[in-house]
Amino acid sequence: MLATDRHAWTNRWRFIHPGEKALFVAGLLAADFALPALAVAPQVFWAAYLATVTGARVPGRAFWGVMAVPMLFLLAGIPALALSLNLDGAGPLLSLSPEGLALAAAVSLRSLAAVACLAFLILTTPVPDLLALARRLGLPPALVELAYLMHRLVFVVLERASAARQAQEARLGYRTFGTSIRSLGLLGGGLFLRSLDRGRRLDLGLAARGYHGELRVLGREPELSVKRLALAVLAVLVVVALALVQP
Amino acid sequence: MTGAILAVDGIEHTYAGEVLALDGLSLTVPRGCRLAVLGSNGCGKTTLFLHLNGSLRPGRGRIELGGEPVSYGRAALMGWRSRVGLVLQDPDDQLFAATVAEDVSFGPLNLGLSGPEVRRRVAEALAAVGIADLAERSTHMLSYGQKRRVTLAGVLAMRPEVILLDEPTAGLDARGAELLLAALERLNAGGTTLVFSTHDIDFAYGWADRVAVLAGGRCLREGAPATVLADAGLLAEAGLRRPLLLDIAEAAGVPPGGRDEILARLAERKTGS
Ligand SMILES: Nc1ncnc2c1ncn2[C@@H]1O[C@H](COP(=O)(O)OP(=O)(O)O)[C@@H](O)[C@H]1O
Ligand SMILES: [Mg+2]
Repeated sequence: MLATDRHAWTNRWRFIHPGEKALFVAGLLAADFALPALAVAPQVFWAAYLATVTGARVPGRAFWGVMAVPMLFLLAGIPALALSLNLDGAGPLLSLSPEGLALAAAVSLRSLAAVACLAFLILTTPVPDLLALARRLGLPPALVELAYLMHRLVFVVLERASAARQAQEARLGYRTFGTSIRSLGLLGGGLFLRSLDRGRRLDLGLAARGYHGELRVLGREPELSVKRLALAVLAVLVVVALALVQP
Repeated sequence: MTGAILAVDGIEHTYAGEVLALDGLSLTVPRGCRLAVLGSNGCGKTTLFLHLNGSLRPGRGRIELGGEPVSYGRAALMGWRSRVGLVLQDPDDQLFAATVAEDVSFGPLNLGLSGPEVRRRVAEALAAVGIADLAERSTHMLSYGQKRRVTLAGVLAMRPEVILLDEPTAGLDARGAELLLAALERLNAGGTTLVFSTHDIDFAYGWADRVAVLAGGRCLREGAPATVLADAGLLAEAGLRRPLLLDIAEAAGVPPGGRDEILARLAERKTGS
């Protein structure tokens, strides 16, 4: 998670308007679900991959890292889709039908391609930028503000948690299974209390800077470029064309 | 002296109805000074600072800002906080925004300034603390020392008359402390009043032009470092040790005084002998 975040902040397309990236992703997703899976999904997948790795210069390893867990889930799900259980005959019958196999392949490919699109988005756009976009698209400001603060606090709490865990380890808190359970409980309880305390102090800290109920900051407003928007559309059209010319 | 910018008189504060953190504390902050609030852990420094910007309200006692008694209405507090900035000890208590520039823009925006003016102030504040190159950095990818300078910039961008700094050098390495102090010296030279808390007596002795010694929620004494911190009885009562520079002066047999005086006398002795 932290690695993803680091790439989002440092990749080459970091300062490109999130709306442009979102348009690209929305176009790919629409194509992915509208066209026949076997033809379109691979194109969508590679388009997302190329945009991430070649376009934004995020290392391929990071891309595959994000994809690994969803891929595992999909692989695990294939048997359930491919096999069909027949209860009509004498006794239950488990069978592998061609239709089942085709369905499994279509669903897996579509999903993989869709996940690749999201991987592109989170590897190239920091969460706060995505939230700013969500706000502009009409999500309630209070909700966006909450998500924004939580995103920031997650990192603070993570840092604390790893420091506290190291301190417990140094005092042999994880020597046996029993002490581990006890240590983890203490860690969780301590973090909860500290988070409450931190919330209180964050309130003081923000009030000292004139906070009165609205977290307003001056973001950099990346320019929405017509040229890049057109490029995004063009890229999607190329993907669609490639999918359609295939037999 | 052009009078006191802040004055507290006999303030008391009790946490959760039982911990008496301030017990009739009185203190004046002269305009333009570099005041060190000195005391051991738990003597009430942080609690005092939270009173000096209106975050906490005293149970008893008076606080004056620029000669006027303070009030705690919404508008009054807003004005108070735009004149008196507070930098908390833990930067994670004050940084909340995604990037450094965004975070620093928070205070000026709350003052109701226009976009271009806010941008100007953000750039100016970042330059003042020497981190202009970090403007677009994510706030959770900074070192501790950088985070502390960002919080200072966030307060600076509001252009307060007084800046309160809670333990500004605690946890910083020598280089980090040096960069921070250089920025503070420039501010002070420009007329900003600085009040900082510390338990580092050598730092207070060498850097402040005025000290207030706290113990048990009271201010035992305030005045010039060279006089106040030479009082052995007072230091014992506050649980502080003697400044190193005074030990050196005594060992070398030169008369005590302020930091610069002692250093000058030592240098004189060296060239004389
Ligand atoms: N939020 C709080 N709740 C209860 N007691 C507190 C709280 N904050 C501080 N105290 C107590 O008040 C006293 C003064 O604390 P503080 O002002 O933080 O001292 P200092 O900053 O000088 O170390 C201490 O005894 C401390 O335990
Ligand atoms: Mg303190």
